Amino acid sequence: MESLKNEESRVSHAETDGAVSDVAAPEPDSSGTTQVPWFRWLTIERRILFGFSLVFIGILLICAISYRNTRVLLDNSGRDTRSYELIQVLRDMDVATDEAEKHLRRYLVTGEPIYLGNYREVVKQKTTLVTYVQDLARGSVDQEERAERLNRTMERQLAAQAAAIAKLAEGGIKAVKKTALDGPAKQEIAEIHRIVAAMDQHERETLRLRVRQSAAETRKTIALLAAGALLQLVLLAAVYYLIRHDITQRRRVAAELKRHGALLEAANKELESFSYSVSHDLRAPLRHIDGYAALLRKAMADSMNEKAARYLDTISASAKQMGQLIDDLLVFSRMGRQEMFRTTVDLARLVSTVREDLRLDLHGRTISWTIGALPSVPGDPAMLRQVFMNLIANAVKFTSTRPAAEIAIGVDRRTPTEVVIFVRDNGVGFDMRYASKLFGVFQRLHRADEFEGTGIGLANVRRIVHRHGGRVWAEGAPDQGATFYVALPTEGGVR
Amino acid sequence: MSPAKPILLAEDNPRDAELALAAMEEHHISDKVVVCRDGAEALDYLYCRGAFTSRHRGNPVVVFLDLKMPKVDGLEVLRTMKSDANLRSIPVVMLTSSREERDLRESYALGANAYVVKPVEFGRFVSAVKELSLFWGIINEPPPDPSTSKT
Repeated sequence: MESLKNEESRVSHAETDGAVSDVAAPEPDSSGTTQVPWFRWLTIERRILFGFSLVFIGILLICAISYRNTRVLLDNSGRDTRSYELIQVLRDMDVATDEAEKHLRRYLVTGEPIYLGNYREVVKQKTTLVTYVQDLARGSVDQEERAERLNRTMERQLAAQAAAIAKLAEGGIKAVKKTALDGPAKQEIAEIHRIVAAMDQHERETLRLRVRQSAAETRKTIALLAAGALLQLVLLAAVYYLIRHDITQRRRVAAELKRHGALLEAANKELESFSYSVSHDLRAPLRHIDGYAALLRKAMADSMNEKAARYLDTISASAKQMGQLIDDLLVFSRMGRQEMFRTTVDLARLVSTVREDLRLDLHGRTISWTIGALPSVPGDPAMLRQVFMNLIANAVKFTSTRPAAEIAIGVDRRTPTEVVIFVRDNGVGFDMRYASKLFGVFQRLHRADEFEGTGIGLANVRRIVHRHGGRVWAEGAPDQGATFYVALPTEGGVR
Repeated sequence: MSPAKPILLAEDNPRDAELALAAMEEHHISDKVVVCRDGAEALDYLYCRGAFTSRHRGNPVVVFLDLKMPKVDGLEVLRTMKSDANLRSIPVVMLTSSREERDLRESYALGANAYVVKPVEFGRFVSAVKELSLFWGIINEPPPDPSTSKT
């Protein structure tokens, strides 16, 4: 008997252990990267999320750096284009002013208007070109100032040239002889050459600097990207390690559970064959004791005295009692391993049939029943019947000494996941100090001569309710009656 | 009923056998009972071989079979009987201590005609054996013997 009890408690321990290890993901011995205390507090899911967040931030940073560098390079290349353009425009202007001066001198000497073409071209384009140069030079104070100077110098040059042309028209070739030899805007042209040269040199210097800057920027970016990529790799490796570690752990736990399951199954098989032999072999000698006692009584019928007859009766009664114990124990052990048949059980109907079946045991007693509305619950009908049969039979039994027996059955409370049903009586009750013993195998709170029973009924009740995923408990006081509570999962609570 | 037809009781436990006989005695049918001590002996009887080579031919009116017996157990005897054309029609009553669902299911699957759990209480045991013997040995009309009908 003792071994059976231990078996059960071991089984229930194994169940709770399994459930606990399933929930507790952060194992204290998960070494390596998990040395930081706060990191240990995180569940594995949060750790992985944390790791991936870092990787994500890293990728964003790399994107930002790449974007910035590309912007700088694009910017620089745009400025380079402008620089080259400026250099080109300056050269064109330089050549054009030179040509115009040269042709103008020829015009002053020959008076042929054909030589005025270049000058007129310069006059016509001067504003456009200068504006263009000013525009391209914008951004550098030196260049802007030079462009301004270029503008003024060119104005002076054109003014000088215009004056020479006017002088020719006024005083003929002789008047402009000297001017034609020197060139009407000799100083200005020289000045323009100087300015253009300076601007050209400045622009080339800027270009060179800018190329060097771009190269440096690019090198820096590449270094940053390389470092970032390395960091990403490290982070990803860490996350990979975390995940792999977790998977290994889980696999280990699963293997452990499987092993436990196999052990449990083997133990169950063993128990089954054990109870089979109990069923067969333990009952036979009892039958013989009772049988031979009866035969003896018959054989000695004439010469038996009263004392001897009482002894024989006691032998028979003891054999019968032990037979009952064995039968109850077998039912109990069968309850633990029997396959559960899951369906919906109408408790109202179940309770009414149980009451019907118990009517014979009442021996004409009157009991005032108060049956509340009872729900339907998922479960095994035969097993749940056993539960209510036991509870109601107990209530009937322990109120047998009451002149007005009262038994109430109903719903105590219900939550979305379970319903609590009570069976209350006004019988002899029990001392709450012994409440823990109530549901044990062969535990009795009353002497055999007070109330009969083998002490297995409530153990069966608890076992069945546990198998349904529910709970059972009792409240009571001596001579104040007892209330038994059965909490059963409802459809919403069954997993 | 033919007086020659005995009841075969296969029971390894001599005390159980004695108690069963004591129960039958009250109806004076115990003298018709042949007791075999294990499954092998029961099969020997049924096939008229071994110690029973010279027995009177003909099948018993009913066989009371214990489940757990040495050498050949009750289920094995039942299987052998129900797969033999000559023995198939003999009524078989499983008389056992086991209330195991597995045993019940297997017995009926193999073709047992009844399954009786021996009660621990002697009074109930006596009445069970008595009723069984009465019904199967006297009230029930056994099938015609295939081996004798041929001759």
